[in-house]
Amino acid sequence: MNKKKRMFIRMITASLVRRRSRMIVALLAIMVGATILSGLGMIYYDVPRQMSSQFRSYGANVIIMPSGDGFIQEQALQTALGKFPDAELEGYTPYRYENTSIHNMPVTLAGINFDSIMKTSPYWHISGELPEQDGQTLVGAKVADKLSIKTGDSISAVNSFEVTDSTDTSRIPDYEIYTDPKTGEKHCDHALDLKVTGILDTGGSEEEYVYVSLGDTAYLSLADRGYDIVEISAAATQDKLSEYIDNINSSVRSVSAKLVKRVTASESSVLTKLQSLVFIVTAVVLILTMICVATTMTAVIAERRREIGLRKALGANNGSIVGQFLSEGLVLGGIGGILGALLGYAFAEIVSVNVFSSSIMFQPLLIPVTIASSVIVTGAACLIPIRSAVEVDPALVLKGE
Amino acid sequence: MFLRMVCGTFYRQWKKMLMIALTVALGASIATAMLNVMLGVGDKINEELKTYGSNITVVPQSESVISKLYELDEDVRYDYLKEESVNELLTIFWANNIVDFAPETDTTVTLDGNEVRLIGSWFNHHLEFIKKGTTYQRDTGLVNLRSWWDIKSGKWLDEQELNGTDYCMVGETLANEKKLSAGDTIRVKGEHGTKELEIVGIFESGDDEDKCIFTTVTAVQELTDTSGLIKKIEVSAITSPDDELAVKAAKNPSLLTGDEYDLWYCTAYVSSICFQIQEAVPEAAASAVRQIADSEGKILEKTELLMSLITLMSLIGATLGISNLVTSGVMERSQELALLKAVGAKNGQITRLVLTETILTAVVGAVAGYFMGYAFAQIIGQTVFNSSIEMNGMVAFIVAVLIVLVTLVGSIPAIRLVLRLRPSEVLHGGH
Repeated sequence: MNKKKRMFIRMITASLVRRRSRMIVALLAIMVGATILSGLGMIYYDVPRQMSSQFRSYGANVIIMPSGDGFIQEQALQTALGKFPDAELEGYTPYRYENTSIHNMPVTLAGINFDSIMKTSPYWHISGELPEQDGQTLVGAKVADKLSIKTGDSISAVNSFEVTDSTDTSRIPDYEIYTDPKTGEKHCDHALDLKVTGILDTGGSEEEYVYVSLGDTAYLSLADRGYDIVEISAAATQDKLSEYIDNINSSVRSVSAKLVKRVTASESSVLTKLQSLVFIVTAVVLILTMICVATTMTAVIAERRREIGLRKALGANNGSIVGQFLSEGLVLGGIGGILGALLGYAFAEIVSVNVFSSSIMFQPLLIPVTIASSVIVTGAACLIPIRSAVEVDPALVLKGE
Repeated sequence: MFLRMVCGTFYRQWKKMLMIALTVALGASIATAMLNVMLGVGDKINEELKTYGSNITVVPQSESVISKLYELDEDVRYDYLKEESVNELLTIFWANNIVDFAPETDTTVTLDGNEVRLIGSWFNHHLEFIKKGTTYQRDTGLVNLRSWWDIKSGKWLDEQELNGTDYCMVGETLANEKKLSAGDTIRVKGEHGTKELEIVGIFESGDDEDKCIFTTVTAVQELTDTSGLIKKIEVSAITSPDDELAVKAAKNPSLLTGDEYDLWYCTAYVSSICFQIQEAVPEAAASAVRQIADSEGKILEKTELLMSLITLMSLIGATLGISNLVTSGVMERSQELALLKAVGAKNGQITRLVLTETILTAVVGAVAGYFMGYAFAQIIGQTVFNSSIEMNGMVAFIVAVLIVLVTLVGSIPAIRLVLRLRPSEVLHGGH
């Protein structure tokens, strides 16, 4: 038994080694098929994730608003943000609006966090620099146009109000308070001096605001309060986002989260299209390469009819011949599958780095699937020609017909 | 004699030749399908991205600057565009790239004591006009520009079906607040009179528009006494991603050299389309909505790159498959070729014979493959994008060159082997 087994193995290895060039041809065909399966498979699985982060250039896809008339408190915001998995949360920007006047014109000031703004509004075009600290400001193009503000200018935002006995004057410098000589009422022109570091151009309504840091809005309004609105950019599908939003709305009563439909609805439709495109392309290419593998194997076996005839003449039965050829096919399929799976991974990685400048997510399951399918395909491709090959009459073949 | 030998091969060995032709056909069909899909994917994805809404807005030119600078009397309406200017959009160079557009005008009205924004626009407007002997027509409106709207009850306002202009659609937030539903009639009071509007549908938009009422342009014009005037035009256009030239032109088109200017003008950059709109409507300022325009460019670029790399891989796959089969096909015939050698054929003659046969087979395969590839491309187009994929003439050329090259390269190892054959050994049966 043991001897028989050794003989069997020797026959297979010998045939693979002796018929090197032909085997390499077959191996190459299998390998190409396996590479395509594993490479495109990995890309198919990773396309939604990779593209999703590209779609983040549309900016925020979830907004949080206060549910009543109040404001969003930091604590409620953090609880709400906690509903998003860390890996999916790209960034969030709280907005706090204050009415003020610049050059005696009413202007709305938006207090934001400059560190995260490019995450939630990556489409902002800034001529100049994004502010980095308190006291610096980014002016919307419409406001800048109206008030003739340029980068580098110093402007002053003024919050005017009447000072009554209940006003907390501890945070107001003395020189800002004056008494109206006619009425005897005390007034305050609380000013915030700002240096314009850039002009914002978006083509949308964002150009109608003047952006300062959250600290500056608190200073100007003399009040620490929460935020008016929070923009969130999360790399997740529409279904997942809806799930998080329901979660937030049911657990954090003081805020109400909303999906920015315009962004999410279109994103999921484009992503689905793109993924099905890769899927169909993979399927078509795979079917064609499978046929390629099959034809190659048919050719390889067809030319060995003499060998089959000889073995039959020596007394081999059909079963052992089928067994030998099938094993050869399986060994080829296995080797081709392993090489192809690795090559495919390398290919997917190259594509991912070149297209998305990030590494591909390795799909461990695809490796065994690739190897298994290339073994199965090769096996199946061998079976058909072998079945007709074993039917040959040894005498005819050996005679040279 | 040569011809007879070639014909003989095809006659006797038709099975093997058929197999080579089949492989070449398969390879050629992959190449054709992938190249066509790759070249067409940009347009398709661009169309899909149009669901994000308008990427260009047209507003009256610097209304504030003019009126502030010259202190003109208030009766002149600087902050309006003429409604007919909308027509001009269809006359620009890139008119075919403009997918949808709709004028917009708005006003603040009082509804049950609350101030509400009333927006007038087109829903499914049929625009038709004649200019300089050419008839232009287009169906356009919010139905396409607000494709993300979720109609909660009722339906879209159908301008073609409804008579008159006193219909509206109400945002979900406002509808809930005022307990409104489709079929109700609301009474809105504007600066110049009141109007009764019948609610056709309630929509959810996910942004500020949920608090607004959308109605026809005429209804708003009547309420504000601004007949024939609009405040804004939203335009959704298919554009090419911005590159260096576009960035340079966006700063100031007059700084470009003549050639650069022509290239820029004749490329569908968002900036050149804006420029052409301004040329057609001089009193307007067209600007790109950065959020949409920039992102579209980015996603388009990534998709095209992704598809071209996948195509490259499929091409490599197809190439290897073909050269593989050609090689093994020739190898199989070693006996026959050795016999030729034994009867005195020279190496050159054999090489010529083999090459002619293989290339003839490949050509037949390639032609069949090209049409198979066409079918595959259409299957992909129909399944994924529900539209056919245009065939690019260049693809046929690329595929033809590729197939000939591949077949020749695929034959090299086989021919080398043939040349080394020693007739006696082969004919005797050894390998």
